[in-house]
Amino acid sequence: MVKAGLEGHWAGLIVVSNALRDAGFEVIYGGNMTPAEVAATAAQEDVNVVGISSLTANYMLTVPAVIRGLKERGKGDVLLLLGGTIYEDDFDALKKMGVAGIFTPGTPMEEIVNFVREKTSAMVK
Amino acid sequence: MQTEQHFSASGIPIKDIYTPEDTKGLDYDKDLGIAGEPPFTRGPYPTMYRGQVWTIRRLTGFNTPEDSNKLYREQYELGQTGFSVAPDITTAIGVDADDPMVEYEIGHSGLPLNTIEDVDVAFDGLPIDRASTYLAERGPITAMYFAVAEKRGIDLKQLRGTTAGCMISWGVLNIPLQPPPRGYRRYGADFIEWCSEVAPKWNPICHDSYNVRDLGLNAYEELGMLFASAIDFVEEEKRRGRIPLDRFVRRFAFNTAAHNDFFEEIAKIRAARRIWYKIVTDRYGIQDPNCAKFRVHVQSSGSTHTAQEPYNNLIRIAYQTLAAVLGGAQSIHANGYDEAVCLPTDQSMLLSIRTEQIAALETGVTNTIDPLGGSYYIESLTDELEERTWEYIKMIEDMGGMAQAMQDGWYHRLLMDKPIERQKKVDSGEIPIVGVNIFRSEKQPYKVPIFKPDPATSREIQAEKLRKFREKRDKAKHAEAMKRLVEACNSDENVYPYVFEAVKVGATFGEVSRAQVDAYGEWPYPIGL
Repeated sequence: MVKAGLEGHWAGLIVVSNALRDAGFEVIYGGNMTPAEVAATAAQEDVNVVGISSLTANYMLTVPAVIRGLKERGKGDVLLLLGGTIYEDDFDALKKMGVAGIFTPGTPMEEIVNFVREKTSAMVK
Repeated sequence: MQTEQHFSASGIPIKDIYTPEDTKGLDYDKDLGIAGEPPFTRGPYPTMYRGQVWTIRRLTGFNTPEDSNKLYREQYELGQTGFSVAPDITTAIGVDADDPMVEYEIGHSGLPLNTIEDVDVAFDGLPIDRASTYLAERGPITAMYFAVAEKRGIDLKQLRGTTAGCMISWGVLNIPLQPPPRGYRRYGADFIEWCSEVAPKWNPICHDSYNVRDLGLNAYEELGMLFASAIDFVEEEKRRGRIPLDRFVRRFAFNTAAHNDFFEEIAKIRAARRIWYKIVTDRYGIQDPNCAKFRVHVQSSGSTHTAQEPYNNLIRIAYQTLAAVLGGAQSIHANGYDEAVCLPTDQSMLLSIRTEQIAALETGVTNTIDPLGGSYYIESLTDELEERTWEYIKMIEDMGGMAQAMQDGWYHRLLMDKPIERQKKVDSGEIPIVGVNIFRSEKQPYKVPIFKPDPATSREIQAEKLRKFREKRDKAKHAEAMKRLVEACNSDENVYPYVFEAVKVGATFGEVSRAQVDAYGEWPYPIGL
């Protein structure tokens, strides 16, 4: 669970990370990382899910960079989540890029947890 | 007859009705008095809004200094009466736009201010000799602003404005390349002393609880942390003993949030005035009552805004603005209703300004001072909040004061727990949010216009300007000034005369900032699960 870049606004990331951990997932809280660091950490820790939080409208730059990095490291198959202030008219483009789930402010934690559980049940045997 | 127990947003038990019984301990002259007189519970000034309404001041900035300047001009033409500058995150960190660390953040959530030229451009054509400015930074950019003012022939002794510089507000940011709290406080104290010399009408620090409140502190925790932080700075200055306390305490400014619980927020601002009066007068023995005036900027609380049905936020903002007015704020920022969705659009900016103007000119609430003073409920709530705030201040002081509590990790642990706690209450429905966990529409019923900044070009523009700037500065003068600044940072000397000198000969904010941090080493923030 990371912020891909330098922005503050970490409360949402902490809240979602905590909800996932409470639901039984093993969560690595990365805090602020560059897109390259996100990919490197995801590969090193062999994660199933990468969650990115963005509240400054920079996600159209950072998300593709993270995806490139993940692919280079053979982790193109991770479940990629994006949360924060995400413009609705970017949803299609983001999904095409490979973002599996987009969660805007006000999303109940249960919805995120269920989404992750459902999508990862096939990954984790 | 007692109905089901009700509580304020801060958990204060609320009775079904308040009567003279609830205020019988109140001594009018000692506890309230009239506005402009101790203990200032009813207002810091004798005429309040009858003399002058609050300053309409929206914290903004985006893309580049050029684009932000256009925005500030528009706001001024719409009747905004003060400027408020939000630097972007790279500027908050203290790295320049051409730093390799910076890739995606220039002009997001604020504007980049790297050099004296950027500051000049951002304020081009704006009447900074008349209107006051708030700079959401900690000192070096203010030094650039002073240099720009000087260049325009403005007497710094008359210059009015405020520098943020607050520990508890900055600590929230969780950004790299920051000094530890004691280093941060040292530079803050340096800045306070320097300002009292060169720009005595400037507020060198604005103690600011907005961010911590937005992370989930309640009303009295907010005030408690706010005053614990202010006290920490007074204690630091007392320890240093370089200037008399009354010289700078009079220039302390404050910034709080206006949250949802309407009456509690009004009582909070009233209680804050009485508490600050007691701190200044009783605790520090400062005799001049002008030093004990709690002057506050209030901003509607962003954490209460929702991405669902964004127009609901404009109602929330209007109520919160009204609470700030009835509490007697000196300056108000009504948020954009669309801030949970995007950066504010022009239309939402206009609405924010109009929200304040309608409150000021149409509702009649400015006709008399402290219109809720004497209400059994408000006075009782004011007392209760004051009492709880004292307890919270004491708790922080028992930990060694605010800077120590930050250094020891208490502050960040608390701020990580609070949003989680709040989310659980939202999920369970204990905190109702209309359109989110109650009356939630299955499908979004409407869309609002959105604004998208151009994230790609700001960095190029800014980096190119920096390259030219570095090229044309006098390299020998710059190197000499930087050398002296680094020496000052590593000594006990006040660094700000050297910062001032350095920025005038072309030192960038990133360079100044790096010199300041290097003297202490970077402080790793204790944020994480």
